[in-house]
Amino acid sequence: MEGNGSRKKGKRYAMLIDLRRCLGCHSCAVACKSENDVPLGVYRTWVKIVEKGSYPNVRRVFVPSLCNNCERPVCLSVCPVKATYRRPDGIVMIDEHRCIGCKYCMAACPYDARHVNPIKKIVQKCYFCFHRVDAGLVPACVNTCPGGARVFGDVNDPESEISRLIATNPVQVLKPEKGTEPRVYYIGLDEMAAKAKVEEA
Amino acid sequence: MIEVQTIYNVPYGEALGVPIAVYFYLTGLSAGSFILSTLAYGFGMARYKPLGKIGVVLATLLLVVAPVNLMIDLEQPWRFWELFYYINLTSAISWGSFLLTLYPINCVIYGTFMFMGKARLTKIFGLIGIPLALSVHGYTGFILALAKARILWNTALMPFIFLVSAMVSGIAMMILVAIVRDKYFSAERKINMDLINGLVVMLIGSIVADLTLIGTDILVLLNSHDEAYEAAQLILTGAFRNIFLGGEIFLGALIPLALLSNRITRTPFGITVASVLVMIGIFAMRYTMVIGGQAIPQH
Repeated sequence: MEGNGSRKKGKRYAMLIDLRRCLGCHSCAVACKSENDVPLGVYRTWVKIVEKGSYPNVRRVFVPSLCNNCERPVCLSVCPVKATYRRPDGIVMIDEHRCIGCKYCMAACPYDARHVNPIKKIVQKCYFCFHRVDAGLVPACVNTCPGGARVFGDVNDPESEISRLIATNPVQVLKPEKGTEPRVYYIGLDEMAAKAKVEEA
Repeated sequence: MIEVQTIYNVPYGEALGVPIAVYFYLTGLSAGSFILSTLAYGFGMARYKPLGKIGVVLATLLLVVAPVNLMIDLEQPWRFWELFYYINLTSAISWGSFLLTLYPINCVIYGTFMFMGKARLTKIFGLIGIPLALSVHGYTGFILALAKARILWNTALMPFIFLVSAMVSGIAMMILVAIVRDKYFSAERKINMDLINGLVVMLIGSIVADLTLIGTDILVLLNSHDEAYEAAQLILTGAFRNIFLGGEIFLGALIPLALLSNRITRTPFGITVASVLVMIGIFAMRYTMVIGGQAIPQH
């Protein structure tokens, strides 16, 4: 993760999640489901909830997760048929007419951001609501977040809100050691909560 | 220690299923039996001549059956053809499209010349086939190694672990085939012990090499970052302990080694039991790698 911007010229879309403003209400997950027709049982964004500490020193921590639309996506390099590709603005896409459903991308993604659509029988994930972005709107989760925790924008434009927030706050990304250069940034990400896994529940 | 509990998370599923483990197992057997068949016809080691024809037939058949497993694991099996049309050179699965085409074709040519008795041409295609056989199984190691999310897979040793284990299972299968053929289908109903003893020595060597590689892998996993330690714990003490330590290491390697390396149990019966155990053990290895590798959640 070098800086907040990109080596590429032109637009580079990214998301910032300010966890000081996250209520853990799951509105983002619901808005995403309704906007993108996400089938039952699978999610393109979800809020992991973790409890830390023991009474009376306790805290509930939220980790909203989604596809990081990485700068160096593993899914893109492992896809055998190039069904996963990247738009010039950095959004990582899946061609649903080309995906053969080998699920290699799912095995290779360090964020488990991909799922099989049980109806269409192809792999899908978050595309930053590219259809809304192209129409000049923000993604559905950003639009709906009651706390205003999610900020979407172009990190190659130094005047954008997201660029200003990233420049003036300590920010984190998930699993920086994987070398994927994620494009979803967090303010106030708890590393213990980010690492906590299902079995420990 | 600060208590940390996950209260809610989305369900987690494994991407690559058992058919993929079966596919890796079958390509391994195919590559192993091909290489054994070239010992006589490519390198002129007359002792292994009885393995030549059966080796190439098995190598070809196994490699025709193996990709069927890949197809049934696809969500869109009818888009299989795309693998040959849209190529991504950074994807190990894409390399497979070429290898899984070239290798069986070469097997058929090599086998045809062998059955026609044309020694020189057989030798040429046998030698061409060796790098192909190594690649066709080695690339499956790369499929796992290049999926960087899975710590159990993401090691430079993976292609070599796969190649050596392919030799182990291939030799064990050929021992079984040779014993069954000699005992029930040959004219004199007598086991060719000269051939079997040669294979047993190779099998012992391959098992030792396999154990060395796996030991190296685990030792480094135990002394690397937190995720690597977690992966080592999964197969040493966790959910995959029985299938890895019990199936792959104890039943699949240590017991066969004991049976093969002393004169009392090195009888046709002992060798048969050892070979069967080895074949089960290598399947346990494929299962541990493919399914166990995905057992650690990513979030």
